[in-house]
Amino acid sequence: MDKTVDKNPKVAEKVSPAETILKEPGILREPVAAPLVTYPIEVVIPKARQQTPAVGQRATRLDGRLHGLGQTGYIDDMTFPGMLYAKIRRAGVASARIKSIDTKEAEAMPGVMAVLTGKDVPNNSFGPSIKDQPVLAYERVFHAGDGVVAIAAVTEQIAAEACEKVKIEYELFTPVLDPLESLKLETPGVHAPSANIYQKKFIKKGDIEKGFAMSDHIVEGHFTTQMVEHVPLEPHATIAMWDANGRLTVYSTLGRITLGRADLASTLGIPISRVRIVATIVGGNFGGKNEITTEPVLALLSKKTGRPVKSVFTRPDEFIASTTRHPLIMDYKTGVTKDGRIQARKLRLVLDGGAYCSWSETTLSKACILSAGPYNIENLYAEAYVVYTNKTMTGAMRGFGAPQVCFAYESHMDDIATLLNMDPLDIRLINAFHEGSISPTGQKLQSVVVKESLLRAAERFGWNGKGSTAGGSKVLPKEITSGTTVRV
Amino acid sequence: MLTVTLKVNGESRTASVPPETTLLRMLRDQLGLTGSKLGCDVGDCGACTVIVDGKPVNSCLMLAMQAEGREVLTIEGLATMDRVHPIQRAFEDCASLQCGFCGPGVIMSAKALLDEIPDPTIAQIRDALGGNLCRCTGYVKMIEAIQIAARSMRGEQMEANR
Repeated sequence: MDKTVDKNPKVAEKVSPAETILKEPGILREPVAAPLVTYPIEVVIPKARQQTPAVGQRATRLDGRLHGLGQTGYIDDMTFPGMLYAKIRRAGVASARIKSIDTKEAEAMPGVMAVLTGKDVPNNSFGPSIKDQPVLAYERVFHAGDGVVAIAAVTEQIAAEACEKVKIEYELFTPVLDPLESLKLETPGVHAPSANIYQKKFIKKGDIEKGFAMSDHIVEGHFTTQMVEHVPLEPHATIAMWDANGRLTVYSTLGRITLGRADLASTLGIPISRVRIVATIVGGNFGGKNEITTEPVLALLSKKTGRPVKSVFTRPDEFIASTTRHPLIMDYKTGVTKDGRIQARKLRLVLDGGAYCSWSETTLSKACILSAGPYNIENLYAEAYVVYTNKTMTGAMRGFGAPQVCFAYESHMDDIATLLNMDPLDIRLINAFHEGSISPTGQKLQSVVVKESLLRAAERFGWNGKGSTAGGSKVLPKEITSGTTVRV
Repeated sequence: MLTVTLKVNGESRTASVPPETTLLRMLRDQLGLTGSKLGCDVGDCGACTVIVDGKPVNSCLMLAMQAEGREVLTIEGLATMDRVHPIQRAFEDCASLQCGFCGPGVIMSAKALLDEIPDPTIAQIRDALGGNLCRCTGYVKMIEAIQIAARSMRGEQMEANR
């Protein structure tokens, strides 16, 4: 049994005498009265289970009844006897060294049960690929959302007030905020001594110089996409508790619970068989709840206090301390013949990788592989880099890099069509994949219906020509429910 | 600590809360009614929408003590033991909700609308949902469900009036 985690000093001493508690307003909580049952209790068989074939049919959902009644139990709707509330004090500075943390005033507040800093975490780093993310920032702060101190108290309000009473001294460094700056070798490493470019990918096919030489026109385009936050309606929420067998149970909005178990086992230094994660219906994920956030912190607070501990992100936390979509800077150069056939494409992608790797390797991979678009290109050179910056970490968000490059290569196609005075539909029909096309990475594609889909869509839209303006599309941009609005 | 007494879903309820407690927190933490959700706590997302004295309200922006003596209707107050409310039925039939977190807020906004305008236009429905954010669905099936519910509720009203 690992004793080093558990410097559990006399929790009984932390409980203020009854007189102090009774004098303080807001500490006592009234017992929760159970609501009456005011809904029909009937067996609902959702159509989703009954129809064959199901594709294209209207179906009621399995969760429809509970959602409509407001009965769906999300993590924040759960309470446990004796439960404490935790709040995280976040750095608020982009790049710094932590000189000192003074928690004495916070610890002395009545109702504060435990305080945690990075030094209390057995293995203070995790990550899906590169383990560069701390549970709580201890020596260095890499972005403003870094948690530095965590406090568990009998009410959320006391925990929040206690967080404000913590005094932290920083030595500020100049943050690296521009990914193009970060790309330069002379820029100081965000995670020095590691390089700022923490992953790269290249695709080479054919001979681009030959391709450009055969082209009648060479078109260049520069495209950028912004950092996007998932904004799930339900903020991240977690409850952690232990039993006397040293088994940890975590209720969490976490999506990838098997990875979560591994991360908890490694950060806490306990066998994975002692970790149980319960996930339930989540109020929106979109990729933002794919990795652990406060779970190890709450586990340690729970261990220190002997009580279940809950924490829910505030909406500002969601923006600064949870993963976001990678901003991309994309430079395309395409050679075409005058009748619109692509001869060569050269492109560079720079992904703003934020303060920590998170899911950047997957995103880089996907973005690079898909960067050329669904077009037959004999001569291709794609280079892609992901770099550290002192900004909110970028991670998984629906598409993992695909939406960003799609914006670039389709806008680029429209620009080429405009230059050649061609119908943007025609230029795509000329170049698009067909059955048996070879992808940029050498895969022979099957079940390819790009052209058929385009033609059918054109008929449905009543497409009849070139459309107007830069971007070329007659159809106005729609709000896409993957969480991004794409402005053409 | 203040004692707040109000009517919630037709029942008289009392709770003892610090003065800065919002109506949302009192409903969720003190009264056990967790159907109204906390999405932003600053009145932007509408997940906390309840109906106070007939008007839809962001309960995160209302102090509990401001609800003293008032009548509050939450999502838990719509269904009876015999049947779900027509709006809930329509949302279910149209599969209007995905993750469901915005659902209670949207349904309460819809209820407030239909109580005032039994036969709303699509523009009026959109306007009524203007304060409710949804990140999953794109709202289309919600608008459809509200139209269906409106028809159903008008039919019921006609039955009742006979």
